[in-house]
Amino acid sequence: MNSYHDPELEDVLQDDELRRLAAVLSTTRLPEPPLDDAFRTGLRRQLMHEAWAMTEGRPSWWSRLFAPPGLAWAGAVAGVLLIAAVAVWSATQQTGGFNTIFVASPIDGNRNVALQQPILVSFNQPMDHQATEQAVQITPATTVAYSWDANTLAVTPVGGNLAPNTQYQVTIGPGAKTASGKQLAAPQTITFVTQAAPSPTPAPSPRPTPSSALGEKELATLGGATAPTVQWSSDSSSIYFVDGKGALDVVSVKGGAVTAIAADGASSPSVAPAGDRLAYIRAGKIEVLTFASGKTVEITPSTPPVLVGWAKSTVVWAASNAIYTDSDGGPAKLAALPATGAVTVLSISPDGGHAAYRQDQNLLVLDLATGMSLQLGQAGAKFAGWSPDGTLLLYSTADHIVVADTLGVTQSTLPAGDASWSSQDAILLGSDTDIEQVRPDGTNLSKLSSGTYHSPVWAPDGSSFAFIRGGGLWVAVAPALPPQPTAVDEATTVVKAFMEARLKGVGDQAGTFLDDTGKKDYATGGLSLLITGDPRFTRYYVVTAEQVATQPDTVRFVVRLVLTRGKIDVAAYEETLVLVRDATSKHFLVDHATGGPQRDLGKGAAVVSVDVAADTIKVTFDSDLDPATVKDGVVLLDSKGRQVDTTASYANRTVTLSGLDLKEGSQYKLVVLTTVRDVLGHNVAAEYDLDVVGPSPKKHGNHRVVVVSPSPTASPSAAAG
Amino acid sequence: MPSLWQLVTTFKGRSFEPAQAERPVSDSSRDEERELVERAKRDPHQFAALYDRHFQQIYRFVYSRVREQTAAEDVTSEVFMKALKAMPRYQDTGRPFAAWLYQIAVNAIADRYRTLRPAQPLDDFHDLSVAGPALEDVAARRDEVRRIWALVEALPHQQRTALVLKFQEDMKIEDIAVVMGKSAGAVKLLIHRGVTRLRDEADTLRPVE
Repeated sequence: MNSYHDPELEDVLQDDELRRLAAVLSTTRLPEPPLDDAFRTGLRRQLMHEAWAMTEGRPSWWSRLFAPPGLAWAGAVAGVLLIAAVAVWSATQQTGGFNTIFVASPIDGNRNVALQQPILVSFNQPMDHQATEQAVQITPATTVAYSWDANTLAVTPVGGNLAPNTQYQVTIGPGAKTASGKQLAAPQTITFVTQAAPSPTPAPSPRPTPSSALGEKELATLGGATAPTVQWSSDSSSIYFVDGKGALDVVSVKGGAVTAIAADGASSPSVAPAGDRLAYIRAGKIEVLTFASGKTVEITPSTPPVLVGWAKSTVVWAASNAIYTDSDGGPAKLAALPATGAVTVLSISPDGGHAAYRQDQNLLVLDLATGMSLQLGQAGAKFAGWSPDGTLLLYSTADHIVVADTLGVTQSTLPAGDASWSSQDAILLGSDTDIEQVRPDGTNLSKLSSGTYHSPVWAPDGSSFAFIRGGGLWVAVAPALPPQPTAVDEATTVVKAFMEARLKGVGDQAGTFLDDTGKKDYATGGLSLLITGDPRFTRYYVVTAEQVATQPDTVRFVVRLVLTRGKIDVAAYEETLVLVRDATSKHFLVDHATGGPQRDLGKGAAVVSVDVAADTIKVTFDSDLDPATVKDGVVLLDSKGRQVDTTASYANRTVTLSGLDLKEGSQYKLVVLTTVRDVLGHNVAAEYDLDVVGPSPKKHGNHRVVVVSPSPTASPSAAAG
Repeated sequence: MPSLWQLVTTFKGRSFEPAQAERPVSDSSRDEERELVERAKRDPHQFAALYDRHFQQIYRFVYSRVREQTAAEDVTSEVFMKALKAMPRYQDTGRPFAAWLYQIAVNAIADRYRTLRPAQPLDDFHDLSVAGPALEDVAARRDEVRRIWALVEALPHQQRTALVLKFQEDMKIEDIAVVMGKSAGAVKLLIHRGVTRLRDEADTLRPVE
């Protein structure tokens, strides 16, 4: 343990002392240097200032038009002549400066603009600040502040961020004029669309658990055994292991005496999937112990076995030349191993379908059904484990672990470590210094505890795990699992794929996300899978999502489809999609879809999202509102149409109804009346009704629990509820 | 008595744990970085995201070489300002974006200290303290670790840079080669010579088993 292993340096650090020094260098971390936060933020500001200067200094499209690289020499000469002519003409003008005012913005035309930024508007010459600011018009109605940096105007919403999922049109009207007094010839408009609101802050990663909290205890000493041979009983109550003398022992996870099953010479213990038998190698034979009877049966292979596993209830073993299984007629060859090179079988998969082996420096996986081998990763890759069902495997490279299928196709990568994959899809990564847990897709990495955790092995029920520390066998209580994606998260992925296919006009692909009733809705329910015509379908966003049932998982979405004419979003309508998890495939499919009426955009404030908790409802608009119209304009009704007592407050485009006590599963209706006005005095174009279900506090990660039924049609379910 | 290795790894686990950013970069993270780089090439304002992502590691590296806060700030400013201006010409060669920043940093430090050696004594290493449970001889082992790093500081400039990039910044040899403008073989030779020199000069640092 006192040397440094790095394949990159194996050839240059050949001496133990050199490797020891390398270990010291790589395992200590120098203290973080002193850092002045003001420096960090100041440098950032300086860089952004420079970025502005670069954008302004960058040749504009009109000057690039005349750039020589794009033209033949004759063109360049013509350009020079043209510029000279323009210069002469300009010089004869009375107003001085440039005659054409150009307006540009880095976000013009962008359809994915981040919410936390000012709207930058650049001019090609110095402007009269006051006149230009007064000439700015913004749709939707937004109260803004102005600041200038040279010829660039920064327009910042007073409320902070831009509204999510919103098309902004910023028009510089003819009132804008240059510092020398020349007016803008015609209004110029910058158009862009903002991103969706960020997801709610995910729960912070759990803090490392103190070792004591994992209930760690040493069960046995391994007597110098180095290769991990830990096998759990199927009921997770005891652990089988081979000690340094070759004795096959068993010990209860509760502690107590270690019992020897075989006194010496044992290796490769393997518990049958049913948990009724234990196979191991001893003296060139395979011994199979049946727990219930205490009897041992021997299998005598012709070639000495090196590794034992199970395929369901049948013993499978590896010898130097092939993988064999037990059959009525004696040992039967399942698949041959390569006859060339140094071949070592490393592991048989839990389902007995594959074996991992090394051939010289290469790691390969052998399909026992077909006899085909595939290399995993590059030379030097090391086998690191299987998924519990044997369909995926782990191997390690120089600096990380790869999750791959049995065809060697990479699924994800994980940090390096000794890995164990639990039946609940949590992967432990142990090392000299700590233990971490991660999901197989690489998400939710969290450090569980510091200390030495070698060769962790999950108990079959995931309640605890065994590990090796300091020559002893230890056990620890399993930590809380890293969070799973919620049903809403999974269904959201399907909705996005469904909508993207429709957006691209690929009807066949979109159809794959529909079940039979979903297909019927789009075939006969007055809904179109592909939206054609003018204005055209250009974007969509999820207004809200709610898990409405759990058996089967059912998630209801309201998706807004935006229709655009030219560059301008002119109308939108909503579809309510109900997705149900398929019992067989476990994937969500659209089971039911209904459409709402088309609404014009740009005519008064519109609701862009609604968040519901038991005591508050937050309704976010795209426009700044006249606060005086909020109290009577945004109301909540119960299932009988009576107004619910609530306190309405307003800040930053969001109306918050507080003091509520929504009952889980009860139906409510949120109503936004046409009396609500934006800061420019425009009323909401049409009443907006939303069916709201009282949220369940138990629904994990269910952050938005409302259903929007497009107005003005009242929802029958709400009326009946 | 615990071995030096055990103590060192205890140190790592307790107080010198590598930051998340030092973990091997996953494919998705690399894709995300490529996307950020592409955006910054198109629009200099987007460079902010790259700055936020890499500031800490570049500043730490620069500080480890110049060992003086004001100088570290000057060099770090120079690195990011040069990177911003050169962004439109940046070519993705499959190496991490950070390798390019390190390369600019190595050159900037070399320019600045072409004739000077960092003057700061190695007192900073007194921070190599152990927050874990008290062990009898932690102090003595800590002194040994500190002395190894002190010896690193006395190595020739290029050996020192190679060792820091390899062992502190966890970079691959090929990336270090790009950063230092050398072949991978030359970098390995620098590391070999550096560690060998540490061994030769550290007779007192024998492992305690």
